[in-house]
Amino acid sequence: MLTTACGGASLGTGDGDQQGGPVKIGLLVPQSGTYKALGDDMKQGFELYVKQHGGKLGGREVQIVIADEGETADSGKAAAEKLVKQDRVLAVSGVVSSATINGVKDLFENSRIPLVGSNASPTTLTGTKYIWRTSYVNDEPGKALGKYIAEKAGGPVFLIAAGYQAGKDEVEGFKSTFLPAGGKLAGEEVYTPFPATKNFQPYLAQIENSGAKAVFCFYAGGAAVDFVKQYRDFGLAGKIPLYAPGFLTEGGVLKGQGEAADGILTALNYSADLDNAANKQFAPAYQSAYGVPATTYAMASWDAAQVLDKAIKAAGGTVTPESVNAAIAKVGDIDSPRGTWQFNSGGTPVQPWYLREVKQGANTAVSELGRLGG
Amino acid sequence: MTGWLDGNLVSVVDGVAFGLLLFTIAVGLSLVFGMMDVLNLAHGTLYLAGAYVAYALSDGSVWGLVLALAAGALVGGMGGAALTFLTRPLARRGHLDQAVLTLGITFIVADLLAAAFGGEVLPTDPPTALRGTVDLVGHAYPVYRLVFIGVAAALALLVHLVFERSSLGALVRAAVADRDMVRALGVDVRKVLYGIFASGAALAVVGGVLGAPILGPGPGVDESVLVLSLVVVVVGGLGSVRGALAGALLIGQVQTLGVALLPEYAPFLLFGTMLLVLVVRPNGLIPSAVRT
Repeated sequence: MLTTACGGASLGTGDGDQQGGPVKIGLLVPQSGTYKALGDDMKQGFELYVKQHGGKLGGREVQIVIADEGETADSGKAAAEKLVKQDRVLAVSGVVSSATINGVKDLFENSRIPLVGSNASPTTLTGTKYIWRTSYVNDEPGKALGKYIAEKAGGPVFLIAAGYQAGKDEVEGFKSTFLPAGGKLAGEEVYTPFPATKNFQPYLAQIENSGAKAVFCFYAGGAAVDFVKQYRDFGLAGKIPLYAPGFLTEGGVLKGQGEAADGILTALNYSADLDNAANKQFAPAYQSAYGVPATTYAMASWDAAQVLDKAIKAAGGTVTPESVNAAIAKVGDIDSPRGTWQFNSGGTPVQPWYLREVKQGANTAVSELGRLGG
Repeated sequence: MTGWLDGNLVSVVDGVAFGLLLFTIAVGLSLVFGMMDVLNLAHGTLYLAGAYVAYALSDGSVWGLVLALAAGALVGGMGGAALTFLTRPLARRGHLDQAVLTLGITFIVADLLAAAFGGEVLPTDPPTALRGTVDLVGHAYPVYRLVFIGVAAALALLVHLVFERSSLGALVRAAVADRDMVRALGVDVRKVLYGIFASGAALAVVGGVLGAPILGPGPGVDESVLVLSLVVVVVGGLGSVRGALAGALLIGQVQTLGVALLPEYAPFLLFGTMLLVLVVRPNGLIPSAVRT
């Protein structure tokens, strides 16, 4: 890969490794706007890991520099530029929005600073050398559910999703495993105008009229709250099972949905009640530190800190962005609250997926849906 | 086929509920713009404030809702007075200055509300007595939305009677048509005009209190409400109560029945309808007789 002379001279943090001194890690997360709640989860997950490890990653003192991703690709890009060029961080974690990660891709690739992203991961983000994700690719929650619903539904399934890129990714991912497994669709899939749709009644009427035996939907944030409550208000809950990628009931939205969410089935790579050693170290500590149950967003950030911990240690004597990046590629098995996982060649996890059910206002793991990402 | 038919009948009923919600919000915007010539882009923020009032005061009882309505009317009256005060220096400087000022106010208030209530959607449940569903031609329909239709229809009738049938309404219309004449009769015209602003704002906040279980409070709700209100005002015709009602009911049906019948055109239905109405009737369905 070619780098320009300009890039090499003015960008890198290549002022060499200050032996044993603190390392600077940038956290690029929303501190304002619509995505602030997600940003808080991610920041808390990362900080918890560092706190649990004596303020160190790879044996080095850590200085965390927080930059506000904001709501748009532009605000995210400006914050990333500041971390890379002004703060000269060793590595960056975070990034909520797909638009941001697409916008900062070239910045990280060209300045050769590793971005260990812990949320945004659009299907279109491929062929990168310095960008890693500890979350999952956007179409994977749908992929994880397809075969299961095809076997369980006992009839046609109605697909409905927010009309933007992530919604389309999820639906395509779902169909890629649902149709080959013999699943039947109840009519055409429906994309609701996003974020304009607040009243889902007409779509709920359509679902009722379609004769569907199950519904697969994709919503997140405020729309997830509206959809779930109206699904209950118009009498569909308990009549037609509702399946979705996990964000439908993850984090703050679950509180907003209240009992309307009970019985909803979702697929995700994490559930706060998973029974494994790493989760025993993570979930109770998170709950007691922040007073809310751990989410997949917090967990992926905790893992991002863990990846950096191992990589900085492996980089040993010469801790530079490039040596850390090379070490991430060889980091191997991550002992995570979600179960053990590894990076694949695309820089995203090969990991287990779980079917979860909302019971009394909490997501509970029901069964494993198999591994994806390989 | 019967399932198809009565499924859409539910959409028609829901369209009435949604339309009356839009009327409650938009009629104030229409009157303030139509009569006082003030373009108030902070109107959606008034709705949002009302929805947060409902969230803060709803305790599951009907009294909680009544209390929230009273608090909402008070907040609305004060908000209207504050907006009149702030827009007064710009009265002769045209709509652009008013738009910039009121838009600035929306940003500030939205940030303050987000700081107070957080960045997430906080759905508000109706009082316990009004939860649950009733059977509507074989389909479940939320009780609260039916109650809402009744309350909002009464509110619409009241607004109509006050503005178009009472002597107070006659005074208001006279003050808009010929300020100097009304002033010569010894009436404080400024107070009359402030009254329009305050009651328009109070209606929007009360709409927020009542509408919270349908369009809950959260960042961004103010913008979507403002856009819908502007569409209603443009479609219905500026400054007339009946126009606002006609526009609101039409848009309500477009957003429910229209979307149910033509889901693939959902993103274009709203503005397509507006375009169609404006081509046929450039001044809206029922424009105000006073101003034109």
